Amino acid sequence: MTGAYDVAIIGAGVVGCAIARAFSRYRLKVVVLEADTDIGNGASKGNSAVLSTASDTPSGTLEQQLVKRGHALYRAEAPSLGLPIENLGSLTIAWNETEAETVRAMQLAMIADGFHEAELVGPDAIYRRIPALAPGAVAAVWEAEEAIVDPFSTPLAYALDALANGVDIRCSTPVTGAHFEDRQWHLATPGGEFVASLAINCGGLYGDRVDALGGNHEIKIKPRRGEFIVFDKSARGLLDVILKPVANSLGRGILLTPTVFGNILVGPTAEQVDDPDDWRCTTEGLAALQAAAKRTLPGLLAHEITTTYCGLRPGSDRPEYRIVVRGDKRWITVAGIRSTGLSAALGIAEYIVAQAMDGLVRADQKAEIVSIRVPALWERGPRPARDPTCVGRDARYGEVICHCEQVSHGEIEDALASPLPPRSLKALKRRTRAMFGRCQGFFCGARVTAMLDRSLSPEPRHAAE
Amino acid sequence: MPPSDPDCLVIGAGPAGLAAAHALVNTGVGSILVVDRDETPGGLPQYCRHLGFGWGYTHRLETGPAFTRRLLGAIQHPSLRLLARTTATAIRPGPAVDLLGPECGVITLHPRAVIVATGIRERPRAARLVPGSRPERGVMTTGQLQQMVARGVPVPGRRLAVVGTEHVAFSVLLTARHAGQRVVAMVEPDERVASYAALAAIVRHAARIPIHVGTRVVNILGGRQVEGIEIDGPSGPARIPCDSVVFSGDFIPDSVLAQASGIAIDPRTRGPVVDQHGRTDMPGVFAAGNVLRAVESSGFSAIEGARVGTCVAAYLGGSATAWCAASRPVEAAPDFDYVVPQRWTTDDGRLPAIPFSLRVRTTGAPIPIAVKIGDRVVWSDAARRRRPHRRIGIPQGPIARAAGDATCIEVCTTL
Ligand SMILES: Cc1cc2nc3c(=O)[nH]c(=O)nc-3n(C[C@H](O)[C@H](O)[C@H](O)COP(=O)(O)OP(=O)(O)OC[C@H]3O[C@@H](n4cnc5c(N)ncnc54)[C@H](O)[C@@H]3O)c2cc1C
Ligand SMILES: Cc1cc2nc3c(=O)[nH]c(=O)nc-3n(C[C@H](O)[C@H](O)[C@H](O)COP(=O)(O)OP(=O)(O)OC[C@H]3O[C@@H](n4cnc5c(N)ncnc54)[C@H](O)[C@@H]3O)c2cc1C
Repeated sequence: MTGAYDVAIIGAGVVGCAIARAFSRYRLKVVVLEADTDIGNGASKGNSAVLSTASDTPSGTLEQQLVKRGHALYRAEAPSLGLPIENLGSLTIAWNETEAETVRAMQLAMIADGFHEAELVGPDAIYRRIPALAPGAVAAVWEAEEAIVDPFSTPLAYALDALANGVDIRCSTPVTGAHFEDRQWHLATPGGEFVASLAINCGGLYGDRVDALGGNHEIKIKPRRGEFIVFDKSARGLLDVILKPVANSLGRGILLTPTVFGNILVGPTAEQVDDPDDWRCTTEGLAALQAAAKRTLPGLLAHEITTTYCGLRPGSDRPEYRIVVRGDKRWITVAGIRSTGLSAALGIAEYIVAQAMDGLVRADQKAEIVSIRVPALWERGPRPARDPTCVGRDARYGEVICHCEQVSHGEIEDALASPLPPRSLKALKRRTRAMFGRCQGFFCGARVTAMLDRSLSPEPRHAAE
Repeated sequence: MPPSDPDCLVIGAGPAGLAAAHALVNTGVGSILVVDRDETPGGLPQYCRHLGFGWGYTHRLETGPAFTRRLLGAIQHPSLRLLARTTATAIRPGPAVDLLGPECGVITLHPRAVIVATGIRERPRAARLVPGSRPERGVMTTGQLQQMVARGVPVPGRRLAVVGTEHVAFSVLLTARHAGQRVVAMVEPDERVASYAALAAIVRHAARIPIHVGTRVVNILGGRQVEGIEIDGPSGPARIPCDSVVFSGDFIPDSVLAQASGIAIDPRTRGPVVDQHGRTDMPGVFAAGNVLRAVESSGFSAIEGARVGTCVAAYLGGSATAWCAASRPVEAAPDFDYVVPQRWTTDDGRLPAIPFSLRVRTTGAPIPIAVKIGDRVVWSDAARRRRPHRRIGIPQGPIARAAGDATCIEVCTTL
């Protein structure tokens, strides 16, 4: 089919999209092959949306290095892509003397690791920051650098940027087989074969299966489920900081954090599952989240629940990132990007491109870069329907369709006509936030579904193209 | 043409808002603007094609669209303008109201009075913490189902499971038939059917639809599509294969606008606090209809709207005051879910008052009801079993007569 590519990226999660964008800066032919109808519909669709500092990842690891670098790059590059960063800072709270001991040790370790802003604070500072916090907090580590971001627009921004800069992005294109011949990979998909001289596996929850297609069997993916409850925007006043428990052997524990969309998020739980497609919320998980909310921020329970969801961390059989560069086989594995991938993606991308440039591909940087911006979905930022000039110029932005999230007709039409159009309701929700609010479609579900279905029907739009 | 400042701005063109507008037109109020954020006015009934609407307000039972047409027909008047697709985004003291719409753009109006009639919604599946998978289609509220059917948007599959047995759940049965869907089961977490026993009997025996009471949905099966539900109840766990699940009832006032605008909200109803004339604590701002509490019928909401409309006309004419701090609280004992109105004002006795709605939360032991003003019982009702989802009416006369010297009106369960 299409001529040979220099690089084929398998998987368009936040990691694959970031890597595609990084390669798009070079004179290379790059293709992204994604199994799903949309980008970012795997592990990347359900996370806590915290831009973390890596202070709680094991010291001296590649993961810590890449999260640190990813965080710095995100701060540098996200604003120009239209991505919001809400600088809330985090408090890791100790509720008893044992935990206070841990917290003190944590803070010292953070300083030693170069996180110089980590600060030990006492109850006064804690309760000044969160008056609604349950009584009994004894100490905390304050990290000013931790922030919240838009988890859906992030991979979208990377993908749109990559697309604008010449990368070929193919959704609904699962890679089902691979063979290596004459220093080239032949990747089989239902839509035909793709040939590339370098293959990069960014398969997330399927990282081991994709690796197996390329003949590599040493990594085993072990998905870990994380469930969440999203509370109504009316609760936002209760919390203006990322609230973390002290991590223990079971994991980092359940956070309470605002989201950039103006809700309060409680989660995630942590549970090993066998099936990488098991996106169920469970009775036990939801009960654990409610208990955590009650324990930590009791006022939260008086507020309505907007939604619940579940994420799957693409962890592996080792507690670390599994990035393997196989120069001889021209295959790079980027797997096990477990619970920090949103923060680390730009760092991972920079690292992978550097590895590839080290003898696997050769290319010059492009002189001109096309820049893009994603539509702003930030609760506290400018939105078309709030902007008199925008509404004055185009009445479609004055007609609100999704009332809970105040999404206008114009924004939904724009998303449907974008270069990476949504092909499912979930994709449309991620692009616009329509149906994502407290009524979950009671008011707008029928209209939004009708708009999507019209855009998917093969007749008018595609015939015209 | 962008609207200019009206005497009264009605927010929401459902039964309550439209009946209020009708009362305003009838009493000769100079200029009335009705806004509704939906594509067409009418509120929820416009999407329900079955009979059952307007009773009490019109003394006949009509279909939702017919009742809507009647309400809309009655307000055709040069003094009234109706703007659909127009959202009220904020109310500020003054009152001042921010509007957003394709015709008006982003504007602020300064009406002399405002009526908030923004209605209700149902709690979605997630808010009820029902575990299981989350297929992107096929899990919805009744409101969404009804709009899908009315707008011709396909509902997945043929087999529908209904969660909840409030009246609205039976509305699903009628709508489903319209859409060529078959209801395969109704599931009720409570020990008994919330709606009328007679209705349940017809459904069970004539329509042969099983109703599982005391039963919870513990899982939604499927991946991309709904494949069924898992239930757990008196007869143990079971699987019901289906293609769609409708979460019905469990209504909540859509009072976000009032709440975000700083109008006092009653934590028990989750709607604005009002006195018996519909006055909120923001001077010049009134409220009526199901935004006050979930949930009453469309006829009841319309009656309430009409009465509040009449009060607003009196307020605009200078014969009634705004909210006054001297109003007395109406307090319902903890056994009750809520009481509306939550305040009673004594100085405007000649204005029409909205009917009381009182509700219990669960079916418990029989309880009496006594309305006390000071030490005096001004009205009482003998002990009987009270059912949630049924309005307990309290007559206003005895309260109006005795409220003059009260500091508080108590609704108690001891005589
Ligand atoms: C509960 C939870 C909380 C988290 N919180 C945070 C947080 O606060 N901050 C943070 O930084 N990170 C967080 N993360 C981590 C972050 O979400 C992940 O690290 C990241 O999403 C991993 O992205 P990925 O691109 O590797 O995987 P994915 O998003 O799973 O992408 C892999 C893609 O590959 C595709 N694919 C698979 N097989 C094939 C094939 N054969 N052919 C073609 N395509 C294929 C899939 O369809 C998928 O789209 C959290 C994760 C979870 C689950
Ligand atoms: C599925 C279903 C079936 C029902 N069946 C029956 C039945 O058989 N018989 C019966 O009597 N009752 C029935 N009801 C109840 C009936 O619909 C309600 O009692 C009635 O609609 C309440 O009227 P309302 O005017 O208070 O609110 P609504 O009808 O909810 O109207 C509120 C209006 O306000 C608008 N609005 C909200 N916020 C804003 C804003 N910020 N700016 C502008 N506009 C806004 C909305 O768009 C809406 O049109 C049913 C309800 C449902 C959901």
